[in-house]
Amino acid sequence: MGGYLQYVQTLDYQALLPAMIVGGTAVIALLADLLLPRRIANGTAILLGVMATIMAGLYASLSYGVHYLAFGGGFVLDGLSVVFQEIVLLSTLVTLMLFNRRGVSEDRPAYVALVLWSSTGAMIMAGAGSLMTLFLGLEILSLSLYCLCAIARDREVAKEAGFKYLVLSSTASGFLLYGMALLFGATGTVTISALIHPATGIHGLYALGMGIFLIGLAFKLALVPFHIWAPDVYEGAPLPVTAFMSVATKAGALAALARVIYTAIPQPDAHWLLLPTFIFAAASMLVGNLGALAQTDIKRLLAYSAVAQAGYIVAALAGATELGIRSAVYYLAAYAFMNLGAFAVAALLSSDREEGTQLVAYEGLAARQPLLAAAMTFFMLSLAGMPITAGFLGKIFILSTTIHTGYWPLGALLVIGSAVSFYVYFKVIRAMYARVERFSHPEVRPPSQLPWIAVAICAVAVIVLTFVPVMPGDATFFVK
Amino acid sequence: MADSLLWVVLLPIVLGFAMFALPKAGDGIARGTGIVVSAAELLLVALQYGRVGHQVSYPWFTDSPWTAAFHFGSSQIALLFCAMLALITLAAAIVTNVQRERDFMAQMLLLEGTMMGLFLARDLLVFALFWDAMLVPVFIMLVNWGEGTAAAWRFLIYNGTAGLGLLLATAAYGILAGTTDVIGAAHAQSLAAGAAWWIFVGFAFSYAVKTPLFPFHTWMPDTYTASPAPLAAVISSVQSKSGIFGFLVIGFGLFPQEMHRWAPLLSLLGLIAMIYGALVAMWHDDAKRVLAYSSLSHLGLLFLGILSFNQLAIVGVLVYAVAHGLFNAVMFLVVGYVEQREETRAISRLGGLGINNPKLGGAMMVGSMALLGLPGLAGFAGELLILIGVWGSGQHWYAAIALIPIVLAAVYMLRVLLKVVWGPEVQDLPVRPDLAWWEIVAVAPLAAALLLFGLWPNLAAPAAHDVVNVAASVAAAAPATVSEASH
Repeated sequence: MGGYLQYVQTLDYQALLPAMIVGGTAVIALLADLLLPRRIANGTAILLGVMATIMAGLYASLSYGVHYLAFGGGFVLDGLSVVFQEIVLLSTLVTLMLFNRRGVSEDRPAYVALVLWSSTGAMIMAGAGSLMTLFLGLEILSLSLYCLCAIARDREVAKEAGFKYLVLSSTASGFLLYGMALLFGATGTVTISALIHPATGIHGLYALGMGIFLIGLAFKLALVPFHIWAPDVYEGAPLPVTAFMSVATKAGALAALARVIYTAIPQPDAHWLLLPTFIFAAASMLVGNLGALAQTDIKRLLAYSAVAQAGYIVAALAGATELGIRSAVYYLAAYAFMNLGAFAVAALLSSDREEGTQLVAYEGLAARQPLLAAAMTFFMLSLAGMPITAGFLGKIFILSTTIHTGYWPLGALLVIGSAVSFYVYFKVIRAMYARVERFSHPEVRPPSQLPWIAVAICAVAVIVLTFVPVMPGDATFFVK
Repeated sequence: MADSLLWVVLLPIVLGFAMFALPKAGDGIARGTGIVVSAAELLLVALQYGRVGHQVSYPWFTDSPWTAAFHFGSSQIALLFCAMLALITLAAAIVTNVQRERDFMAQMLLLEGTMMGLFLARDLLVFALFWDAMLVPVFIMLVNWGEGTAAAWRFLIYNGTAGLGLLLATAAYGILAGTTDVIGAAHAQSLAAGAAWWIFVGFAFSYAVKTPLFPFHTWMPDTYTASPAPLAAVISSVQSKSGIFGFLVIGFGLFPQEMHRWAPLLSLLGLIAMIYGALVAMWHDDAKRVLAYSSLSHLGLLFLGILSFNQLAIVGVLVYAVAHGLFNAVMFLVVGYVEQREETRAISRLGGLGINNPKLGGAMMVGSMALLGLPGLAGFAGELLILIGVWGSGQHWYAAIALIPIVLAAVYMLRVLLKVVWGPEVQDLPVRPDLAWWEIVAVAPLAAALLLFGLWPNLAAPAAHDVVNVAASVAAAAPATVSEASH
């Protein structure tokens, strides 16, 4: 053991520092809860969380362009890990801003700590270079989320959400772990990029392990047909947690998926191993959008929409091309802003007692609060892939990826799914702009004005990203 | 940022959003602002005539996945449509009379800006961007100020799907050609024949839905009927031309061979649209529906002209496109006047407006005469040029059959005119004041432009020069050896 530790250098810890900042701050937030009076502790915890997120984000951005294998390849610092960590941190920041009082007025520091820990888990997943680290990150993420989903203990639906998530997510973890064990059995290594040796070819056990592993990831990503848990869990969890799950969890799992697809599946002779990703993408784009059609609760609507959006991103990744990963990263960044923005708008329509997630709460919003309605319109347009938003450009990039790589039927399915999704997202726009004689929904005073910052950041980002399409440009996006 | 060409696109969009800073209740202020802005926009467009061919370009993304730029350029054909749009938007702004005028005016300006961007775009992706962006203000206006939301949904689903087809085709073009910065470029990238075939299908489908062409028209009568008069005037006259513009500039410019390959089908559909639209227009009682179906009929004639591949017919198409825009705007605004006064637009309920409201009757007559193709007005000149061109291209039967719906136009328009303006007075109709001066001021420039283009159709000839490859497309579709030798 000591023999191993002497190889661990300061640089290794520096690579892990952003995740350590966030995880460490969670402990401090809990200490604050212990030491400070309740009133001060609540604010302090959030402030600490925000500061830690920003610091970690700044520090992580400094290492963009650096390539380093930390802990003997267990944790990788490369373009992919930095970009995905930033997206996780962004959603953590917004989540912290969206805190509402519903059911959590007493436990806020614990709440902050759990969010920070799950963020740590997602960040570790983003940089996981070996299957062990991947599983470690995933479990840190998931365990915190089980608690977060059920944190509003007085609500039946929250308890149900927490339990459902616990059961199904553990099953998925089981799949993942079994797949990992088979992969290890087939290859004798847990380092993702070393899983396949070009010379040895593909073992049957390897294919089986990879298949089961991908199923486990699909569970976590809520890809069809493993998406059933998502709407119920999204609906039951508190609004900020739903926002976090819809972006940060997906970012972590997508980073893992991307790393496996790009470094552990040899090209082009093992292209058939990618088949499950094509199926997941195609099914998610269709089923997600169709499922969203009938929803009248924004959380459920966005849950189904998140299934479809994850399908779009997997569609970009499925061909394992360089353009694919760049499109996927661009789309994920765009998706982070538009989805978090939509949740921030919902937070502003929430009162102490009720979350503003019913479609009826949006009726006549354009007349009452034109700015908020305009922002929400942009988020919905972006989700639908309409200009002038980042979602439009992201969809163009993914379409061009499918054509470039030669699997244009997936592009055609994307078009069909998007056509269906028009009804989904414009339903919200219609509610906001349609003429209403009198508002049936009572005017609410949001518990905090903090979400306005999130709305502003997200709205600006969604528009600016259209005109300045920042795509990660460095060729060595993955370090093997 | 000081380039005035860029401001043609930006001004309505920026000020459209800025409208929300105005007080909520100030309808007069909002309308005044809307009129001033759209007048300024008209002036800006007019200024562009001083430097046709001017271009302005800002890079968007390069190389990955392809090269695209925010590239705008003024050409005669683009400015022709821009000028028509600016004039009609100004007219619509003057007579806007709806609830929550500030928000309505803001959406009208946003719509104007997106359409300006569409006409001036030199990059296919920018074109697609504005093409899709156009949907949003129309949808919002339909759900808020329209009659029922079913029409809004139908409009959105049809045009949204068309927009997605355009996106897929644009992405494919960009990937295969390496750039989308090709509209109006001297040497467009040539694509492999198989790719060009289905990319053109994507473009043509999208244009055909937006125009609309039979059988993709079913959203159109509902949308026009449900729209408030100013919106109906703008979308029926200008938005319908974005599809025509696409065929003229992008179809001929980038896919001359494909245009020729699809010409038999498209012109047959155009002919069917002409006859079908005219027959249905004769039968409807709702004045707006009559106009909608007559519009379908007239747009069919435009397709016939485009696909005759005859330079004279192209001049006719441009004259008629402008004429159609102008008389449609006049008619939708006038029907709006009638509806505002009599609270109905059912032809059977109306009558004798010429007696109590002679100015209103006169305005309606001017619009109807232009619509049915009275010699001396632009509609006639356009129809004549198109028919001569179609005949000249050897499609004698098409030219002959196309005469029938043109005659039918006189039948259904005179039916409306005889009943509504000259018919016997209907006793229980409310008697309301005649047109106010601003209502005349709104339609007078449109009528004047109709007369101008009628007497001097050559005004559209410079724009026809921007439609390239018209004759070449016929040659290009001839045996492959010939076309390759010519390149």
